[in-house]
Amino acid sequence: MSSLHDPIREGLQRGWKVFGGTHGPVPAKITCDVAIIGSGAGAGITAELLTKAGLNVVIVEEGMLKSSTDFNQKEAEAYPSLYQESAGRKTEDKGINILQGRTVGGSTTVNWTSSFRTPEDTLTYWQSHFGLTNYNKEALEPYFQQAEKRLNISPWATAPNENNDLLRRGAAKLGIPTAVIPRNVKGCWNLGSCGMGCPTNAKQSMLVTTLPASLDKGATLLVETRALKFEFANGRIASLQCIAVKPNTAPVDTAQAATQIIAKHYVLSGGAINSPAVLLRSKAPDPHGVLGTRTFLHPVTLSMGLMPQKVEAWQGAPQSIYSDHFLKTQAIDGPIGFKLEAPPLHPVIFGTLLPGFGKQQAQAFADFPHSHMLLALLRDGFHEQAAGGKVGLRGDGSPTLDYKLTDYIMEGARRSLLQMAEIQFAAGAKEVYPAHEMATRYTSWAAAKQALETLPIEPLLTKISSAHVMGGCGMAGDEKRGVVRADGVHWQIENLSVHDGSIFPTSIGANPQLSIYGTVNRLAQGLVKRLTQQDVTLA
Amino acid sequence: MQRRSFLKLGIGSAVVLAVAGGAIALIQPGLVNGKLSEGARSIFTSAAKALLDGTLPTDPTAQQAAINGLLSGIDDLTMGLPPHVQAELSQLLSLLGTAAGRRGLAGLGTDWATASVEDVSTALQGMRVSRIALREQTYSALHDIVGGTYFSAPSTWPVMGYPGPRTI
Repeated sequence: MSSLHDPIREGLQRGWKVFGGTHGPVPAKITCDVAIIGSGAGAGITAELLTKAGLNVVIVEEGMLKSSTDFNQKEAEAYPSLYQESAGRKTEDKGINILQGRTVGGSTTVNWTSSFRTPEDTLTYWQSHFGLTNYNKEALEPYFQQAEKRLNISPWATAPNENNDLLRRGAAKLGIPTAVIPRNVKGCWNLGSCGMGCPTNAKQSMLVTTLPASLDKGATLLVETRALKFEFANGRIASLQCIAVKPNTAPVDTAQAATQIIAKHYVLSGGAINSPAVLLRSKAPDPHGVLGTRTFLHPVTLSMGLMPQKVEAWQGAPQSIYSDHFLKTQAIDGPIGFKLEAPPLHPVIFGTLLPGFGKQQAQAFADFPHSHMLLALLRDGFHEQAAGGKVGLRGDGSPTLDYKLTDYIMEGARRSLLQMAEIQFAAGAKEVYPAHEMATRYTSWAAAKQALETLPIEPLLTKISSAHVMGGCGMAGDEKRGVVRADGVHWQIENLSVHDGSIFPTSIGANPQLSIYGTVNRLAQGLVKRLTQQDVTLA
Repeated sequence: MQRRSFLKLGIGSAVVLAVAGGAIALIQPGLVNGKLSEGARSIFTSAAKALLDGTLPTDPTAQQAAINGLLSGIDDLTMGLPPHVQAELSQLLSLLGTAAGRRGLAGLGTDWATASVEDVSTALQGMRVSRIALREQTYSALHDIVGGTYFSAPSTWPVMGYPGPRTI
């Protein structure tokens, strides 16, 4: 338990209006100016701007309210309480494991703090393929600047940990450029446990920035409360129906009457997969069949390297070095490009990600302190063979994601595994072990290259993860190609905006949190202007 | 194209699913009130001895304690899973608990409780590199649940040289 101050517990003592779970029953009926569904990146930014303008805001979060006092750096407690499906959310065919937050602050509470602006070539593609003519570098510049100021985003000035520095050194030997990752931290202790919630409140997540600011201005936060569905009347949303849920998402009482929220405007910020699911459950109009489609994941491949020296990849800023080299070696709509980064390693992550079992794996477990890992995130959404997955619903209303790992994507997976192995050997690895069920531990680049060129790089055999969910409520300049307009308002529902990563019409090609902050900052300022005629800014 | 899909299950698996799946309602579920049933405990005990061969303590008493800790950890895990994941896992474990499911899906000829570590290892390896999606998915589920849960316990960290949380 942290001995530091806890801004959430202090706020609760000051009298924040928080209901649900252990915070007391949610009123049966709530009336407000704006209801925001979700409490992650898009929700936090929107809430701060709306409350600054004096609007009465209600935030609806399905997860629990956990804060620095609870964040004890233990995976066994963090994953079940802070992530969707205990950090084991999967695509329908189980081909991809998805890390996605489910707590107050959403994924911003548990992410690894990497903060990149939306790459310019991604914006150019949106302009030419989705009619988003006002999504360009110049137009977004002030909104990114404000978000970076508000969340203290700047390139990591401390030395990278060994896990990241190995990426820098290995790439440099091969002439591959790398750069330092900007992070949203203030007074970071360099602990390395960002993925389990920041115990020192250094990470400038929504949990410790925009949400406390909104609650101090009178916003209401409902936790352990699921936004079930919208009710419509005359083409507009008349109310939002919510139910109380247990920590594992099961309804508390199926017979219990739902909470009803009546607002002038509704903002859907549940994140990709979840936001489309709310609209699907609501049977929202979808005349062009685009809802839930084009859901992107940045499919991630992984490569382990065994180093002679200790790496101790659990300690230090989890991500501080990256390379965009392989995003730029071919056209954006050519063979799939990938971004290279290094992920943190902790026992549970290592125990699940390490392929194989038995005596061979026992040696790998013992080698944990010397283990290095690289990841490649594949930039999906820019080619017809990487058109993303489709969100659907199970019988119980929970979302599914059908995501096909096509030959096109898997060709990129092969290239990325080859490239990571080469970098790891260049960095001094004694052995490289690609995350593939038929791979072995290769002791030379030549051996790894020969194997990786012929191994069947197929789904399930190749371990694929994702920590970035995007799309499904795509934004477009016309209603045939998107769910929402360029201003974030739903094409068919005038009193609904979508403010989260689900509006991106492709993947971002970079860790998406700052893309959400910057884009939503602009959308929410526009919403405030329309609702109140006021000009407000984030910073 | 993905060659592995539910629609392209081998004939053997289709029969297994038809026979065992159809009778699942009559068979013990894998999870009872969100926790492992007796049958599921037997499956995980046997799978863990193979999956963690070389990692588990070799002293019988210490090994039994480690496995008891693992099973308790899996109970904690499953209790926290959403209802649809619990239902799916329960059905999978139920199927693996039947003779037809154990043979057809896992490729294991003898009971989980009496199978040797070598036999279970051979079965796991068969599933791991199988061309049938359901077999691969089953391997992944067992591998990830056992590996993830085992190393969530601080008592296992010395094996990995992991010092645990930093004092703050």
